[in-house]
Amino acid sequence: MAQYPVLLFEILFMIDSSWLTEFPDMSRRDLLAIRQTLDGAYRTFSRAYGQSIEDFFNPLLHFLIWFENLLIQTPWWIVLIAIIGLVYAATRSWKLCTGVLISFLAIGYFGMWEDTMRTLSIITVCTILSICIGIPIGILMAGSDRARSIITPLLDIMQTMPAFVYLIPVVMLLGIGKIPGVIAVVIYAIPPVIRLTNLGIRLVNKETLEAATAYGATATQRLFGVQIPLAMPTIMAGINQTIMMALAMVVVASMIGVKGLGQPVLKSITNQYFTLGLLNGLAIVALAIIFDRVSQTYAKRAQRHMEGSDNG
Amino acid sequence: MDNNRENLIEIEGLYQIFGEQPDDVLPKVKAGASKEDVLAETGHTVGLRDINLTVKRGEIFVIMGLSGSGKSTLIRHFNRLIDPTAGKIKVEGENIMELSPKDLITFRRHKMAMVFQHFGLMPHRSVLDNVGYGLSIKGEKKTDWTPKATQWLDTVGLSGYEEQYPSQLSGGQQQRVGLARALCTDAEILLMDEAFSALDPLIRSEMQEQLIELQENLHKTIIFITHDLDEALRLGDRIAVLKDGKLVQIGTPVDIMLHPADDYVKAFASDVNRARALSVQTVMTANTEKLEANSVAEAKANFPQDKEYAFVFNSEGYQGVLSKQQIATLNDENSLKEVLHPVPSVRKANLLQKVIPLSLNTRFDLPVVNKAGELTGRLEARKLADVLSPD
Amino acid sequence: MYSKSLIAGVFTLAATSSFAASSCGKVEIADMNWNSASFMANVDKFILDHGYDCDAELVPGDTMPTSTSMIEKGQPDIAPEMWTNAVSELIERGVKEKRLSIAGKSLSDGGEEGFWVPKYMVDKDPSLATIQGIIKHAKEFPNPENSAISAFYGCPAGWGCQISGGNLFTALNLKEAGFELIDPGSAAGLSGSLSRAYERQQPWFGYYWAPTAILGKYPMVKVDFGSGVDKEHYMKCISNNSCLDPKVTMYPPSPVYSITTTEFEKRAPQAYAYTVNRSFTNAQMNTLLAWMEDNQADGEYAAENFMLNHEEIWSKWVSNDVKAKLDKAIDNL
Repeated sequence: MAQYPVLLFEILFMIDSSWLTEFPDMSRRDLLAIRQTLDGAYRTFSRAYGQSIEDFFNPLLHFLIWFENLLIQTPWWIVLIAIIGLVYAATRSWKLCTGVLISFLAIGYFGMWEDTMRTLSIITVCTILSICIGIPIGILMAGSDRARSIITPLLDIMQTMPAFVYLIPVVMLLGIGKIPGVIAVVIYAIPPVIRLTNLGIRLVNKETLEAATAYGATATQRLFGVQIPLAMPTIMAGINQTIMMALAMVVVASMIGVKGLGQPVLKSITNQYFTLGLLNGLAIVALAIIFDRVSQTYAKRAQRHMEGSDNG
Repeated sequence: MDNNRENLIEIEGLYQIFGEQPDDVLPKVKAGASKEDVLAETGHTVGLRDINLTVKRGEIFVIMGLSGSGKSTLIRHFNRLIDPTAGKIKVEGENIMELSPKDLITFRRHKMAMVFQHFGLMPHRSVLDNVGYGLSIKGEKKTDWTPKATQWLDTVGLSGYEEQYPSQLSGGQQQRVGLARALCTDAEILLMDEAFSALDPLIRSEMQEQLIELQENLHKTIIFITHDLDEALRLGDRIAVLKDGKLVQIGTPVDIMLHPADDYVKAFASDVNRARALSVQTVMTANTEKLEANSVAEAKANFPQDKEYAFVFNSEGYQGVLSKQQIATLNDENSLKEVLHPVPSVRKANLLQKVIPLSLNTRFDLPVVNKAGELTGRLEARKLADVLSPD
Repeated sequence: MYSKSLIAGVFTLAATSSFAASSCGKVEIADMNWNSASFMANVDKFILDHGYDCDAELVPGDTMPTSTSMIEKGQPDIAPEMWTNAVSELIERGVKEKRLSIAGKSLSDGGEEGFWVPKYMVDKDPSLATIQGIIKHAKEFPNPENSAISAFYGCPAGWGCQISGGNLFTALNLKEAGFELIDPGSAAGLSGSLSRAYERQQPWFGYYWAPTAILGKYPMVKVDFGSGVDKEHYMKCISNNSCLDPKVTMYPPSPVYSITTTEFEKRAPQAYAYTVNRSFTNAQMNTLLAWMEDNQADGEYAAENFMLNHEEIWSKWVSNDVKAKLDKAIDNL
């Protein structure tokens, strides 16, 4: 009797020891059934709702095309003057303006003006979209722990999921081009602005907020009068991060037909045109640095009086 | 002190329990379970337990306790920054627990203003905008409230700082802004949560003096939280001592000093240098008559027969002391000024240590006058001695 | 009892893995990112592992980087499905420098390239099977981003077919006909746009190639340019970046080779002989790809299925004793 367990073990071991070396996984047939069912469901969905979803995004598409055409068709020097004007208005720094001017002149001289304008247009739109969607979500998250516990894992997924996993289904739904590109970029770039809006608002000095409440501020007055202004440095850091991540997505977006600096980069990767890749890569870097410095300088300028203040 | 004043705020049976299910734990707490037991059994923290108190119109009511005693929690119930687990909070007879959210906002805007330990200023608003904050959220236009805010800044001694930002100011200056912000709303009730605790001792004492002086003119109802008995004794008309969320004693500063309710209060009181902690206000005798006289003749005619001496006032204010014996020896030709005893006057806010030498130098009581020069009471040497001698 | 069995098990495990490496050594096989190539790579791995005692390893690859790496670094050893037109100069140089060996045709018919439209469109209007019909009905292929012009989906950026497709686009005067050459960015982008159109029965006109699962799954019609094949002009001009005067020609069949490093050919002549023999017809490959698509199989699963069920194909590639070894391995599947 005492030998039974050992014997049983022996039998199990002899008959099928594969579980020792291989993970006991689901049968191929079942896995296949799941995969086919889900894929089929997605195809049905895209067939049924693709057109209406496309129609929903149409206004955005028109705006994107209009904005891109505006940047490309306007004479280059007018665009350049406008950009320098914006940079100066935001930063009041001639040094930065000079840097921007030189960068754009070099970009134009090396024949990347049009691609740069395309990228600039899509990045601008993506950033604005991310801000418009991200800040309210961040506010929602800051206001409710339940919302935060739902949104945080979603943000983790958005940031780590390889872009192509959701890109190709989006292409099935909306075709290739700007809209899926914008969606991909926004999905990837929006988490920082959401996270940092949430963080910024949660870090607002408790007493300052209490003071507002004690003096009879409504929830809206607290939000716009105290929480958002005080969270602004953190939110600006989030926006800055968002812009950087959007620029990083330019190459990936070009893989679903988004025109701009990403396409030549992609081309040079596959063809080993090192110089072409380097030039276009540098143009992306230049855009990144410009966006970064301008937004940071602007943020610093806007928050000057809060420097060194911790309210205590 | 003045028992005839009407009750402005009444708190009845207030409980605060922190945790997931405070309502379930309440009966247990009401039945008298100790804080430790409640925490061990239910994971809930008892913040406040059966608080009953009344605050009278125009008094400075100090709530004193060590950290963790629940005093900061308690003050946040007055304007419902925190809602209690159970209990009533009545202001002018109205239970503010029953206010709708909208009415609560109106109540906060008009009835109460608050000063915070770490000032609670808005770093992104200028000093002037901070002072006008309470008015601006009521919807008043900046042009309308600017004169008022400027005037209050002037009152707290910060004119010229209007366009600065809080971060550019010292701690004391920031708290003056906090005070000006509270006063600017014209709210009758001032909640001060450890308002001076974060300041250096010298600045603190200066601010205390300023508050007492302001109160002489404003007659606000002030609820003042502190962990410092010296401060409580100096400012308070009445003091409530809080320990572990329970009220241990409510009484006048002299009560607290001279008749501590239990060992806890006693330990507090014995540590205090009374001469430095108590002000004239706490020892003085109110309702003293004065003698209005410009000449010896007038003085003779008006001298109160039942008194041994009198404080003489003329149109220029307090002049000196005239004794009964003097009356008999004086001619009407004598100059009144020359014969008066030059007994110095003191102020309500003066600390006892400052008036002790003055009192020792004369056999008369010291007259207590206010800023306007009017007589508000007298300081008897005997009472002073009583207060200063330990038990 | 317990520990004895365990120890025995561990020893067996260790022994099998160190043993195989002895005769033909470590072999790296490029696992390209499209189905037929991945399938072939897995078939090669199975056969080399079990039939030739190699220690085969799959490494991710793509046409351009893999061929460069094979020339410059001698790694990987085998590229099972190389569309040499895309990298003809590079391959020629590699062969000349004795770094690459062209082993055999992996697709005996060669690859098929062309401009395609969905069958349902041709069913409705048979004229769309010719380029004249397409040009005449250009308006039926709207560009989603600009309805004023028509869309032609070209080859993904950086692929060799981008050059040939671009040249034919010019030669066919498609631009004048109102078409815009859209760069889909990637193969996934191109196939995504095609399946989106197909699922919704919408118009689509663009470049594609066979054998592919997409063309197996979605019936498409190759547009006739009416020119026949001019192989010489195609090689000299159409497939060339500096083609100044492209003329219309249909795509000639595209040669698809198994490429190995010359070093591998010398090191493991028997295994090399296998790569020379290993070849599929387009019909075979289309069936296999359709099976993969239907079963959502990856290269490994497809290779196992192929070894199990298509002995008639693979047995012709190997000698009898190798076949015996493989049969044994298949029994263990």
